[in-house]
Amino acid sequence: MQLLLEVKGCSKSFPGVKAFNKVDFDLYAGEIHCVVGENGAGKSTFIKMLSGALRPDEGTITIGGQVYMHLTPALAHHLGIQTIYQEISLAPDLTVAENIFMGAEPITRFGWIDYPRLKKESKTLLDNLQIDLDVDALAGNLNVPQKQSVQIAKAMRMDARIFILDEPTASYGTNEISNLLGLVKQIADKGVGVIYISHHLEEVFSLYDRVTVLRDGNKIATHDQSEVSEEKIISEMIGRDVSKFYTRASVDIDYSRAVEFLDFSNGEAVKDVSFKVHKGEIVGFAGMVGSGRTDLMRLIFGAGIKNSGSVIIEGKEVSIHSPKQAIQAGLSLLTEDRQKTGLILDHPVEWNVSIVHLNNTSGMFISEREESREVSHYIEAINIRTPSLKQEVRNLSGGNQQKVVLAKWLYANANVIIFDEPTRGIDIGAKEEIYKLMVQLSRQGKYIVMISSDMPELIAMCDRVIVMRQGKIVGEIGQDQLSEESILTYSIGGTL
Amino acid sequence: MTLSSDQGITTARKTRTARWINKSNRSVYYLLGIIVVAVTIMALLDPNFFTARNLFNILNQQSTLGIVTMGVAIALIAGCIDLTVGNLLACTAAIAALLLQAGVSDVWVIVLPCAAGLLAGAVNGVIVVKTRIDSFIATLGLMTIYQGIALIIPSGNNIYLQGKFGWIGTYRVADIIPIPVFYFVLITILVYLVMRYTKFGRKLYSIGGNPEAAFLAGINLDLHKIMAYAISGLCAGFTSLIVISRIGQSQPAMGVAYPLEAIAAAVIGGVSLSGGKGTIPGVFLGAILLGLIRNSLNILRVPSFYQYVMLGVVVIIAVALSNLGAARRNR
Repeated sequence: MQLLLEVKGCSKSFPGVKAFNKVDFDLYAGEIHCVVGENGAGKSTFIKMLSGALRPDEGTITIGGQVYMHLTPALAHHLGIQTIYQEISLAPDLTVAENIFMGAEPITRFGWIDYPRLKKESKTLLDNLQIDLDVDALAGNLNVPQKQSVQIAKAMRMDARIFILDEPTASYGTNEISNLLGLVKQIADKGVGVIYISHHLEEVFSLYDRVTVLRDGNKIATHDQSEVSEEKIISEMIGRDVSKFYTRASVDIDYSRAVEFLDFSNGEAVKDVSFKVHKGEIVGFAGMVGSGRTDLMRLIFGAGIKNSGSVIIEGKEVSIHSPKQAIQAGLSLLTEDRQKTGLILDHPVEWNVSIVHLNNTSGMFISEREESREVSHYIEAINIRTPSLKQEVRNLSGGNQQKVVLAKWLYANANVIIFDEPTRGIDIGAKEEIYKLMVQLSRQGKYIVMISSDMPELIAMCDRVIVMRQGKIVGEIGQDQLSEESILTYSIGGTL
Repeated sequence: MTLSSDQGITTARKTRTARWINKSNRSVYYLLGIIVVAVTIMALLDPNFFTARNLFNILNQQSTLGIVTMGVAIALIAGCIDLTVGNLLACTAAIAALLLQAGVSDVWVIVLPCAAGLLAGAVNGVIVVKTRIDSFIATLGLMTIYQGIALIIPSGNNIYLQGKFGWIGTYRVADIIPIPVFYFVLITILVYLVMRYTKFGRKLYSIGGNPEAAFLAGINLDLHKIMAYAISGLCAGFTSLIVISRIGQSQPAMGVAYPLEAIAAAVIGGVSLSGGKGTIPGVFLGAILLGLIRNSLNILRVPSFYQYVMLGVVVIIAVALSNLGAARRNR
């Protein structure tokens, strides 16, 4: 078999993190080489290096016998490396055929686009790949899997020799997944090398010739087909020394009082979800990206349109159809993307902290003196490092920005606090401070929900972890059984 | 809540405000500086410039644009562009003139056009909010609709006031201070207080700054945007009274330059077209600066054709300066 790609000793560091550490990797023509790993294992860094978006700090990439220190997007394209991302990049108002041949339309003698040939060649291409699509359909009218196959056809038209698929099935149904997997196999049969990145192990096992496991930026192992079991791969994906992680103080939970969330559905991303949180308890939500956790929390908070769902706080049902009602019921939501949805970056720290309190208390006027005094109190209490109350939040570090978001909900006197990825993108010191604050809040009798994709964090912090998959709760793990194995097993569709 | 200090989370930190005040009000100081320099140069060039009469003239001339600008700035701060104010002003002017012609008492001639402006503004807001059309495009369409209405109401005619209603726009306090200057200053102070010291004002800043974050903080986005448009309409309605009183008639085509000039004045004053930023003192000075430049060009006898060119240049330079400043800050 012909060697298409060889990566040798590639590393990449970001401030504070070694995202990719001396990794070797190779790919042969006609092979499907799967790459698996947890969130943050280095999968996307790897793709970005191969597609030319990132430069490795060290190491070489050899393609077709030629050695490169790094690639650029144009060079990657020229060498036949095609990457299919989760996000669709088709022009919605053009037809399937026009999208496939975008930028390379066949033209007539007079320089006009040769539509009959465009359609004919598109049709041939789709037929070869056994994709059943009307070439005249508008791309915008297709569903996600159909769009994905148009993108694949487009990549094949551009003479792809190395094909990278990044989590292609994130929003697929089972049927659609098997169609896509069939398509991927066909492409490999045509002699293209496929790198398939996924965290769905069942897909990997139905597809792979070889599988490489990444963890914390390191390559753990590469296995040939039939030499490895699912359990082995899971243990390699985790393999971290959990005992080194944060150890929290324990808190007495009051099991006589609870907040219950019943039958939450929105018809698509969230299906019949019910759970409860006890007073002082920290309940974790695990699951793969796209499993519906964030959508669920937005529904609970009144920020999405729900088909059903009710909230019962200490025995009393509250009606929540808007964030305002949620806030009045004592709920709070610290969103996963604090810069886009949690903060007003151009506004001062002071305004960002007082926003919820001001908007949900009576009275028309703002007393700037009282505002400063109250905000100062929270800034000191949770140790937000800012030169002044008037500093624009944009200029604070990620950890301090997160604390500003927390401060605003504390000032609003939140009773049920939903953290969505509270420590994403912040450094280890700030993480520990956030953990300490969460434990303190639980000691004060708050109800705490925590979404996290960081499994050690969930295990260290949570009294109980609920696992979601494809919009449903698929498992609930008490502290006695809480481990990365148990979480991961549920997340990828297994049972304990 | 209280957090105990045994958790190792105590830091006494003095949070003083002085630094930020300098920073956030920087555009205000910029403008003050530019105005002082311009006034000084003009005073040296022409002895007629630096007289109480001329300075009040400038204020007087800018008072109508200034009041309209206050409304437009409120909408802009909430992230909403309002292009309707000029033609809407012509509509309420026609209403006022017709009421005067019909012999209605002055009180109603003041109240009804203002109410019409407020109502029309609210309708603008409802249309922008409910159709989810970009506010620029939506109000562009509405602007044309008001242009038509401004012709329909008076059947396309100018309506002369025949000496009635002069006091509201031309009276001079102590024989020197034109009364529109009072309106302008009073409205500026009122808007300043509302935007700075009420929750309503703060909500508009939040909505303009980050609508999603504002929504998740429990703010009713639609309601507040509608209110911002309503205020903008009210300002236009009130301004139309001053204008007709001054020129003694209503004209269907009056006010067409207001929307763009008002946006220019607000932006010069530090308001961001994308919303969430800007102070009312800045907007006030932005309107004054535009008038000052126009007056100076008049005194220097620059032909009016060239004045437009100069004004355009000033707007672009002022906004470019503030954008470059912002770009440097965010780097």
